[in-house]
Amino acid sequence: QTKWDLPAAYPASNFHTENLEQFAKDVDKATNGKLKITVHAGASLFKAPEIKRAVQGGQAQVGEILVSNFANEWPIFGADALPFLADSYEAAEKLWKAQRPMFEKKLGDQGMLVLYAVAWPPQGIYSKKPLNSAADLKGMKWRAYNPATSRIAELVGAQPVTVQAAELSQAFATGVAESMMTSGSTGWDSKLYEHVKYWYDTQAWLPKNIVIVNKAAFNALDKPTQDALMKAGAEAEKRGWATSRKANGETLEKLKANGMQILPPPPALKADMKKIGDTLLKEWLDKAGPEGQQLVDAYRKM
Amino acid sequence: MRRFLDLLYDGAAWLAALSMVGVLAMVLLAIVSRQLNFHVPGTDAYAGYAMAASGFLALAHTLKRNEHIRVTLILGRLTGRARHGLEMWALSAAVALAALFTFYSVRLAWVSWSINDISTGNDATPLWIPQLTMAVGTLVLLVAFIDEWVLELRGRRATVESSEALHNE
Amino acid sequence: MNDVLVTTLLIVTLFAFLGSGVWIGLTLSGVAWVGMQLFSSRPAGDAMAVTVWGSASSWTLTALPLFIWMGEILFRTKLSESMFRGLAPWVSRLPGRLLHTNVIGCTIFAAVSGSSAATCATIGKMTLPELGRRGYPDDITIGSLAGAGTLGLLIPPSIIMIVYGVSADVSIARLFVAGILPGILLAGLFSGYLAVWSAMNRDRVPPPDAPTSFMEKLHESRHLIPVVLLIGAVLGSIYTGVATATEAAAVGVVGSLILSAAQRSLSWATFRESLLGATRLYCMIALILAGAAFLTLAMGYIGLPRHLAEWVGSLGLTPFMLIVALSVFYIILGCFLDGISMVVLTMGVILPTVQAAGVDLLWFGIFIVIVVEMAQITPPVGFNLFVLQGMTGRQITWIAKVTMPFFFLMCLMVLLLWWFPGIATWLPSKM
Ligand code: NA
Ligand code: NA
Repeated sequence: QTKWDLPAAYPASNFHTENLEQFAKDVDKATNGKLKITVHAGASLFKAPEIKRAVQGGQAQVGEILVSNFANEWPIFGADALPFLADSYEAAEKLWKAQRPMFEKKLGDQGMLVLYAVAWPPQGIYSKKPLNSAADLKGMKWRAYNPATSRIAELVGAQPVTVQAAELSQAFATGVAESMMTSGSTGWDSKLYEHVKYWYDTQAWLPKNIVIVNKAAFNALDKPTQDALMKAGAEAEKRGWATSRKANGETLEKLKANGMQILPPPPALKADMKKIGDTLLKEWLDKAGPEGQQLVDAYRKM
Repeated sequence: MRRFLDLLYDGAAWLAALSMVGVLAMVLLAIVSRQLNFHVPGTDAYAGYAMAASGFLALAHTLKRNEHIRVTLILGRLTGRARHGLEMWALSAAVALAALFTFYSVRLAWVSWSINDISTGNDATPLWIPQLTMAVGTLVLLVAFIDEWVLELRGRRATVESSEALHNE
Repeated sequence: MNDVLVTTLLIVTLFAFLGSGVWIGLTLSGVAWVGMQLFSSRPAGDAMAVTVWGSASSWTLTALPLFIWMGEILFRTKLSESMFRGLAPWVSRLPGRLLHTNVIGCTIFAAVSGSSAATCATIGKMTLPELGRRGYPDDITIGSLAGAGTLGLLIPPSIIMIVYGVSADVSIARLFVAGILPGILLAGLFSGYLAVWSAMNRDRVPPPDAPTSFMEKLHESRHLIPVVLLIGAVLGSIYTGVATATEAAAVGVVGSLILSAAQRSLSWATFRESLLGATRLYCMIALILAGAAFLTLAMGYIGLPRHLAEWVGSLGLTPFMLIVALSVFYIILGCFLDGISMVVLTMGVILPTVQAAGVDLLWFGIFIVIVVEMAQITPPVGFNLFVLQGMTGRQITWIAKVTMPFFFLMCLMVLLLWWFPGIATWLPSKM
């Protein structure tokens, strides 16, 4: 019997984590208990930024990461966080198909395998004030949590502020932050609805969690177990995307029920954000070089 | 040798104190930038690195000042050879654990460098740079423990009794 | 491997290392190391380094060294002396007199700081020398400080509530509000105990100053102005949105430097001493935090807390018995792990059981905070005990002994919370 540890950063109640639990159960069943995977949810084993390295170094055999977090390391990891490059579930699935071979090569060189990926719900704008165009964001305190969201703030003239995830709710309550870009479910998890009234469904991007496996640990398994693992992974991917869509609908309903206004972006805001998306894509292509162009071409051909 | 070692511990401690000021500076910068509408990306990460540096670099100096806490209930009741024996055991265990700590801290920075581990935050710092403070701090601690070990072996270690009201002069 | 055997072996290792005088931070690492080598097939060293680095450089912790520094600066000003002069006429008729300053100070500071160790260190730096000089006995002074320091967790803002709120999917704002009444009640219990203790030990409490008229009292209160200004600045910075709860510590440091300059006690020498003193005290705690982070990791790998929690869940207890069992479970766990580790390692397993038993998760959050408070003062691993050992040089066993009554008061608090759940749930229901 082999025992694997699977560190994950999100709480046990999150749909990604529930999917991981189901995946672990499926593997257990398919291998007749030969491979047991323990899911360590809520960053209880390793924290979000440490998980990739833990899998790479073999401290965990398998782990779940928000892959766009690692854009500093390699711009291609951040392609699913480019505003309006892939702005629906269908588009996000295509982008993943285009990204996967490149990820497999890159992570393969680092001694890891890609098992599956599941998208987060689309990103919208939380705002304490109603927005008509990007100009309304000017001067607002905008939570910038990665290079992309910092750059968006610069482009719209918002004041980027640094607030840690743990203090989000309080920061919005006291006005340390007034707006940010994230998914409905992240906002639900950190209880933003208690202090923020508006959410604009810009569907800017759908970042992905990917599940990665340490190659040496994988190679140590026998062939039937490897196959069972890959098969359970493929099923988890299918299930995860479906749950993500469902979870998105449900969280938006829950946010509404808690007094938030869930609004489509007004045309002017949509046009402004699109323009920003184009700028960011150009900047990203400069940074990502030919690899980036290759990815965008492959994606657009699909 | 003695002078060199003391200089090493104190030098590291001063760097640690400077890092403490760095923590303050970074957090203040985050507050002030929000009020005055400018943005310095990564202040949160830099504050964290400075805090780590402050904790690790002061390890040896704090040990030498006898301010790392331990349970001296049994030690305090022993005298002579028995006490010397138990102190040697505690110091040996400490040297071994500090050596482990040092080895893996150095390895941490080295692996970070070789796999090009970069902070995922707005700062995008190559992590081996701040992690050097952990490597250096634990190394200096290891030196300090060996120093204590040798002193105890030769019977020249000044036994600082757990002085009551250490800080409450 | 049999869990009972694993537990026994680890506890024996822990006591062997601690008892023989190995430094506490290193002891925790040593136990974690032994545990991982014997009971898990994972490579211990690299995982240790990653985890220790992650916790030592974690931004959410930055408030701790800064509040410690603030305490060291204030200790070198006349602030604590003037605070006592302002408070003395008001509490001198109460049985226990100035002993209440620990409770009052910690309750107020708890509204500023989210951590128990920071509350204990900052307030202790001011009250311990003053109370000692006035002849109050060490045992009750140090015990009440260790107990009251834990209020930092129950009275918002609170780091542990954020950790619980995220893992249990409970509103953090409601948790914060839910903590207010239990926090005040617990402070009341502490003060009540101090009054009873003093009534029974009259000879040990220094005599009161001469009685003063109300106007005189009011006049003496002017000495409280600096401390009120400082706390007002720190709290104000949080509630006006100038700073987050973590950043407020920096406001505290700057405020104390300004106060210290205004009182002409700020010189290069006192600045240097406060800075080095804070660096050392923080460093002592940091070494223990590093060991605790590694021990938490080892526990995560070995799965002991998870197995125990699963076992408690499988017993099929009534709600009351479940809470009793969980109290015992967390008190035992709290002897060996720090609070945040207790929560992250067990929540995933415990919550379904708790929900199935029909326990309100908001109420349960307050329950968890109180048992985590207990963990701060139970030996051998209790952070308030460590802080006070660092500050007073007393044996940890002695500190644990004098803190014991406050541990029992917290047990009483859990019972009160069970009988009158409204203590926690009434205020948030008004939101
Ligand atoms: Na608090
Ligand atoms: Na404890």
